[in-house]
Amino acid sequence: MISERNTHRFMLVPAALLLILFIYLPVLKGATMAFQSYNMFDLSNLHFNGFENFINVITNPDIRFLQILGNTLVWVVGSLALQFLLGFLLAMLMKDPFKGRGLYSGLVFYAWALSGFAIGLTWAWLFNGQFGLVNDIFIRSGILKEPVGFLSSPRLAMISVIIANVWYGIPFFGIMLLAALQSVPGELYEAATIDGAGRFHQLFSVTIPYIRPTIISTTLLRTMWIINFPDIIYAMTNGGPVNRTNILATQMINKIFKEYDYGQGAAIGVIIMVLLFAYASFYLKMSSRKEGDV
Amino acid sequence: MIKKSLPERILRTLALLLFLLLAIGPLYWIFVTSIKGPKEIYTWPLRYWPENPTLESYRKLFSFSSFGRYFLNSITISLCASFAAMMVSVSSGFALSRYKVKKVKGRLLLSLYFTQTIPTFILMVPLFTTLSKMGLIDSLPMLGIVYVATVVAFSTIMAKSFFDRIPASLEEAAMIDGCSTMQSLFHVILPVTLPGMAAIFSFAFINIWNELFLAVMLLFSDEKMTVPVALNSFISKAGISWDVMSAGIIIALLPTMLVFGIGQKYIVAGLTEGSVKG
Repeated sequence: MISERNTHRFMLVPAALLLILFIYLPVLKGATMAFQSYNMFDLSNLHFNGFENFINVITNPDIRFLQILGNTLVWVVGSLALQFLLGFLLAMLMKDPFKGRGLYSGLVFYAWALSGFAIGLTWAWLFNGQFGLVNDIFIRSGILKEPVGFLSSPRLAMISVIIANVWYGIPFFGIMLLAALQSVPGELYEAATIDGAGRFHQLFSVTIPYIRPTIISTTLLRTMWIINFPDIIYAMTNGGPVNRTNILATQMINKIFKEYDYGQGAAIGVIIMVLLFAYASFYLKMSSRKEGDV
Repeated sequence: MIKKSLPERILRTLALLLFLLLAIGPLYWIFVTSIKGPKEIYTWPLRYWPENPTLESYRKLFSFSSFGRYFLNSITISLCASFAAMMVSVSSGFALSRYKVKKVKGRLLLSLYFTQTIPTFILMVPLFTTLSKMGLIDSLPMLGIVYVATVVAFSTIMAKSFFDRIPASLEEAAMIDGCSTMQSLFHVILPVTLPGMAAIFSFAFINIWNELFLAVMLLFSDEKMTVPVALNSFISKAGISWDVMSAGIIIALLPTMLVFGIGQKYIVAGLTEGSVKG
């Protein structure tokens, strides 16, 4: 039996090596960089500077950290809530079999496989201020008189990028929740019907409690993914106009690729991780999940 | 189950059609844009079907840049890295599934979930500085290895959940018949989990094919670009119009849509039964 356990340990080695070398060590180094002056243009002057990067990131008036934090919150909560609700609705609609459901699910879920970046480009074109399809539809249906620059309007830009992100995220929730819904035993509904529960009551007393674990794990995972994948915003507005769609992750891209200030970029990364970690612990505690059951 | 009335069924059908329209509308529009001539794109009001469909934008895409080269790079790196990720996570997922020490196992799993909180951007600069010191930068195979590492945590979680569903008695029986752990894995367990393997492969392929920022950071020669990097460079390059961009987007979407189309059943099973179990 000892030799068997060693086989198992040995089998963990490739994955462990990859993760240590390319994920865990770089993250440690990245976190260290957050406490260093690490600017591409000033590499000879590399030194530890304590919390200076964090202070700069947070208090520099040009960066408007509070606005970015607020944007991040709106972006995450708005996207997540709409993705979840629409994905749930879609899953409910698809729960009972109908003709061609296999083909239908292929067509309605394909966005799951696309890249956030390509989707951002697609929606940038749909929302184009001069020749975009959205403008055309609104004008034809009489809602608008003339084209609107959705992505250049400070008022509309955030809503527009959220719409693109919601479109991207519906399939994920649709897939997950559909599978969960189909696992609810039919007897539970029968029993509820005998007890006189209406459709609405059934949803809240049978369906949702039963698929709760799936709801918790999907919303938690999705939150992390939404925060860490700014590809859609990057392709559509890159944080503009006037900072209105700038979130922590796009600000980090700007710090790294435009200003080459790796120290401050890393500081934002550490802030994201701390926030996510606190959020995940709180979320899991509130939903009181059993250990190792994520 | 409560029987549904006729108006309710009609309402459901309408809602399903609306979701379908919303899902395929954007893709349709990009496709139509890609087969319109550059003049027709900028005609107002818009035409929902091209008057003179043309493949001109696709020709331009491939002659304007070495798009064929980038496509080949992306295909090669995605196929190789996904295959490697699948192999590695079969090994680690199986070991984790059968590992008996609860406490260690819990910690290992937690460390895998932890990777999901890490923004790629915090890894990028350290990876860049380390790899460039070692002279391993601007290399597609190296980027491929980094890609394997970025998907291996989640793939392992998926693989573990698949193996959890297979009773240990199956391989114990094989071991009584004289198989080693490895032999029983290959001859007894893996054949049963082929759908799971397909799911892990597809999931890795989709993620790797779509990755943009690591490639931007770790590659710099033009002939080594991947498809997303090429699209990204189109944004800043003056003179690229939306017809060519749309053609690029369509080409970029094809491989993952193909993988999703073929592997959809497995991906769905893999994601739902696997990583995010109810």
